[in-house]
Amino acid sequence: MYRIKKSDIVNIAQELSKEYGIFGPYIDRDAGQVMFDRLDDLSQIDLDAPIPAIPPKHVIYPHSECILKYSYDPTAKKAAIERIHSEKPKALFGLRSCDLEGIRVLDRFFLGQEFVDEFYLANRKKVFIVSNTCVKPFAQCFCACTDSGPSAKEGFDLNLTELGDEYLIEAGSEKGKAFAEKIGLAKAGDEYKDKKKKAIDISLDLFTDFAVENKAWVSRVTNRVTTGFIKEEIWEYIGNQCFECGACTFVCPTCSCFNIEDVNIGSGATERIRSWDSCSYEGYSKMAGDHNPRKPVEDRRNKRFFCKLSYSQSKKYLRPGCVGCGRCAWVCPGDIGLPNVVTYIRREITK
Amino acid sequence: MGRTHECDDACKIVSVPQIATIEEIKDEIVDVKTFYLNIDDKDIASKFNIKSGQFIMCTVFGAGEFAVSLPPSPENDRFHISVRQVGKVTRALHKLQVGDKVGIRGPFGNGFPFEEIKGKNVIYVAGGIGLIPLRSSIVHVLQHRNEFGRIILIYGARTPKDLMYQYNIDEWLKIEGFETYITIDNPVPGWTGETGFVHNLIPKAKIPVENTVAFVCGPPVMFNSVIKVLMDQGLSDDCIISTLERHMKCGIGKCQHCAIGRTLVCTDGPVYTYRQIKTLGEQI
Repeated sequence: MYRIKKSDIVNIAQELSKEYGIFGPYIDRDAGQVMFDRLDDLSQIDLDAPIPAIPPKHVIYPHSECILKYSYDPTAKKAAIERIHSEKPKALFGLRSCDLEGIRVLDRFFLGQEFVDEFYLANRKKVFIVSNTCVKPFAQCFCACTDSGPSAKEGFDLNLTELGDEYLIEAGSEKGKAFAEKIGLAKAGDEYKDKKKKAIDISLDLFTDFAVENKAWVSRVTNRVTTGFIKEEIWEYIGNQCFECGACTFVCPTCSCFNIEDVNIGSGATERIRSWDSCSYEGYSKMAGDHNPRKPVEDRRNKRFFCKLSYSQSKKYLRPGCVGCGRCAWVCPGDIGLPNVVTYIRREITK
Repeated sequence: MGRTHECDDACKIVSVPQIATIEEIKDEIVDVKTFYLNIDDKDIASKFNIKSGQFIMCTVFGAGEFAVSLPPSPENDRFHISVRQVGKVTRALHKLQVGDKVGIRGPFGNGFPFEEIKGKNVIYVAGGIGLIPLRSSIVHVLQHRNEFGRIILIYGARTPKDLMYQYNIDEWLKIEGFETYITIDNPVPGWTGETGFVHNLIPKAKIPVENTVAFVCGPPVMFNSVIKVLMDQGLSDDCIISTLERHMKCGIGKCQHCAIGRTLVCTDGPVYTYRQIKTLGEQI
């Protein structure tokens, strides 16, 4: 464990920037929103800012990414295919624990199943993660219900916890430890363990004040979602409120569905672009020839929450697919963010 | 970690397509052509082994990529795909000529059981182009004729012109002990064979029930009525095997477009027993 004066925290980002491109939270004055993106001016980093509007998953899993380039000359009958690599070193500085947990879900899904997703792996390979404990929750948070906060337990290289005018810095990996030693961070004594525990307890207590409306009793509904013992009317009720805008999926730290499209860029050359997709779109499962096995919107809503909450999906992710960031509730124009869906299902159980 | 090797003992082309040449094109029925393909890289081609029931992702350069089932037998059969032109990419494929190049990734998916069903009676029930994915298993089982019990094919299409692999059917009809029933929906002049829907032919075939597996593939309406008749005849739901079709983008279990229930058709399927299909809780 190490410590640093609060006002000196940017020095760590400065040191990291010698080796990594720095991505961090900052307040975009024009948009009036917190963003998490590439920063050249490190003084912009705002570690006190609320969770960013869009999770940092885009840093390792871009909205839209060229994965292959190919060209075909139909006259000469010559084809050439080139794989596009991107292994730039990146540091995520000041990641909230929910968003870190989101990345860990993506890791297990993209790297840990039968096949490894090579394009994700390339983006993920050289990433340094500095997470940031939430010493107080924000208005839409419910990570306490999904076991993903307020402080990260693992998966980071360094974890920051604000304690008064200091930050406690814990190393979570060899890489993190080596870095902390290299830049000569001051050691923190054992008493900091207690200080951190107290800070987390205070944060958890604050959930009852801040996050009264956001409780998502996830464990209670997992069984129902898994076994499918949920009345069709409930899904219809949820489906009726869905605008099919896809916003919930794009702001979700664990949603990973993608589309692939070959885009011609002229002179016989084509780029294979993969981009985020949403299971709430009608065309998502539509096949050539117009057969669509998931045409009704409630069928598609049903599947999204099955993906987030069912036991079989949790086995893939080693945790529920929801990390309690509350962004879906925040952006949903139809009021069917995950906490509300959990409430509707729960209400049905308790009836 | 999962598999990253592009080519180990069993070659699987995972992310970057291999270039293949169209060696021959055969017109099958209206809108369906068969493309005989050869992977250009000889080393990879020699290690490219398929199982019946698997599929590949095929790139038509400049148009996109689509999932397609594999009709050839894994043994001694020319590598080919049979494709109906139905969307943007398959239409572009149909415009290609002999000598043109395509891209191939795969083979993906679990495939039909083969070793497990040795010694059993095997029934194939297909409708229309549903014969395409079943062809691989049919040819493979016929290549090992004496290792199986009765082998029965019940195949139907709308008209005689809609029967896939007419040249194969002509051969199959001559194979002694291969019980083939071919039907068309409505009588037409010159047709001397069976008429009516496939499911109505099943009782006529006097199918065995004990020690029997049935492979079913066809449009959803046909599928449902065939399943009903097979179950009525006494076949158990775990002895009825089918292959499902879904919109696919990646083929390796990542894009999630082919999710059905708790499974992904690309990695958990495309071959399912009817018992499994019933538990998926989704439309076929």
